[in-house]
Amino acid sequence: MFGPIASLSQLNRADGSASYKCPATGYSILGAVNAPIELPARRDALKPEEATVEVFVKPGTTTAGVGERYVEGILRSVLGKIVLGREKGFPRRGVVITLAIVGGENVERGDSYLTILPALLHAALLAMISASVPLSMTFSATLLGVTKSGDIVRDPSPTAAKAAVSLHVFAFSSKNHLLLNESEGRFEFDTWELVRERALSICQGVISSDGDVTMDEGTTSASLNGFIRETVEDQVYSDYAYKLDSI
Amino acid sequence: MSKEAQLSIAERDFILEALRENVRLDGRQPDDYRPLNISFGEEYGHVKLQLGKTNIIVRISAEVTKPREDRPFDGLFNINLELSAMGSPAWENGRTNDIEAYATNTLDRIIRHSNALDTESLCILKGVSCWSIRADVHIIDYDGNITDAACIAIMAGLQHFRRPDAVVRDGRVIVYGVEQRVPVPLNITHKPLSVTFHTFNDSKHVIVDATLKEEQAAEGDLVIGINSAGDVCYLSKYAGAPADAMAIVNKTNVAWEKVKEINAAVDKVLQADLAKRAKIGMADESRAENDRLVQIE
Repeated sequence: MFGPIASLSQLNRADGSASYKCPATGYSILGAVNAPIELPARRDALKPEEATVEVFVKPGTTTAGVGERYVEGILRSVLGKIVLGREKGFPRRGVVITLAIVGGENVERGDSYLTILPALLHAALLAMISASVPLSMTFSATLLGVTKSGDIVRDPSPTAAKAAVSLHVFAFSSKNHLLLNESEGRFEFDTWELVRERALSICQGVISSDGDVTMDEGTTSASLNGFIRETVEDQVYSDYAYKLDSI
Repeated sequence: MSKEAQLSIAERDFILEALRENVRLDGRQPDDYRPLNISFGEEYGHVKLQLGKTNIIVRISAEVTKPREDRPFDGLFNINLELSAMGSPAWENGRTNDIEAYATNTLDRIIRHSNALDTESLCILKGVSCWSIRADVHIIDYDGNITDAACIAIMAGLQHFRRPDAVVRDGRVIVYGVEQRVPVPLNITHKPLSVTFHTFNDSKHVIVDATLKEEQAAEGDLVIGINSAGDVCYLSKYAGAPADAMAIVNKTNVAWEKVKEINAAVDKVLQADLAKRAKIGMADESRAENDRLVQIE
């Protein structure tokens, strides 16, 4: 299976940006973050001591509808928790995250929006890192589908997702804490537990029996957290190339 | 925040003074476009266009709908342009602004109202079903001149797009999948493009394809919509200082030259892309191997 492809800071006008492509599901997301930014007075009165996180999902070939509003709500609650909104310069300001679906099939009205959620989460996270928004942690997310025969499939395509009995999206923080759990369909708690374990191993890499995460070169790149880390590392490496050359 | 950062007085003076000496900020001639870069995505009708630092993605899509009551023979065609905070921090998500309304109107007038896409060919069954073609414009980086860039990208997308084949059999509409039948290109009647000029110093200096800074320093603009045959289908002097009548006549000729140039460039990229696709398609068809799909059920 091909891993995802991502790159940081492609756009000129936005404070931070990232593109993320998941070959398994075919979705390609472009994320942009503007932060900290002045918001009109009507919105910042809610929590004046914190930054307001705003998420906007722009579908590729339709106008935004109920599905987008729903997924925006999920994204806002996850990302709002990890943004350090009380850092200097952030209270009363906004963190505006714009995610455009630039490739892949459309999520039809009434179809599950969970299929695209991990890609949106990753694009938003990378864009925030690119914009240097202070974060309390990083995370990685994955989509798993359970088929009729009870097999757990990683990143099912939109058609496979439709046929699946249940769909699950999990996000784990860099410290292995469960950040987000969205499930759809019929499933039992035992199945959920199996899916959770599988998701944890996808996000964090192979966990050895003593509970340590193996940090070898080979296994880190296979895990999603390792992928996020490497993408950012590559960007930092090229950003600071001038410093490396002078050493 | 809902306003673009203004030019400083020094910057404005610099731009105007330089133009008096026939120099532009990036060293272009008054009638030069910025470097234009067009590429296509995996799907049909997915265009990525870069005009200098202005960056646009256009996606064309089609679906079967019911035609309008008063026009039972016509299909539908819509251009959808929504500015988001991605293009510029000054644009607020989910709120319309002047640029959006103006650009949408211009694109509508040039491409839709000039009938560049023959909507009658989109009819499948009179009064019952027709194709609805939709062009979605995503502005992901804004550095001036979005109308020209969006116009080029939409026209390239319409020429690149292939809709699924549909036939009527015994009064029933059958839409064939892309694998079943070769998808059909859209019927393009002519290829109009917009060329935007900006005037400076009492319309003594008129330049084409202004960057954002040049736009901010300009006193007026002039949009000419013209096709390769030289038919002017749109001319707008929307706001700002009055322009010299002779300048408009002269610039129409410049616009014609530009449109011919750009259309030729688009054609070249389009042919290269279609040739590449044909090659892959042939290779796929002549393969003896069976697809090895992982059984999911």
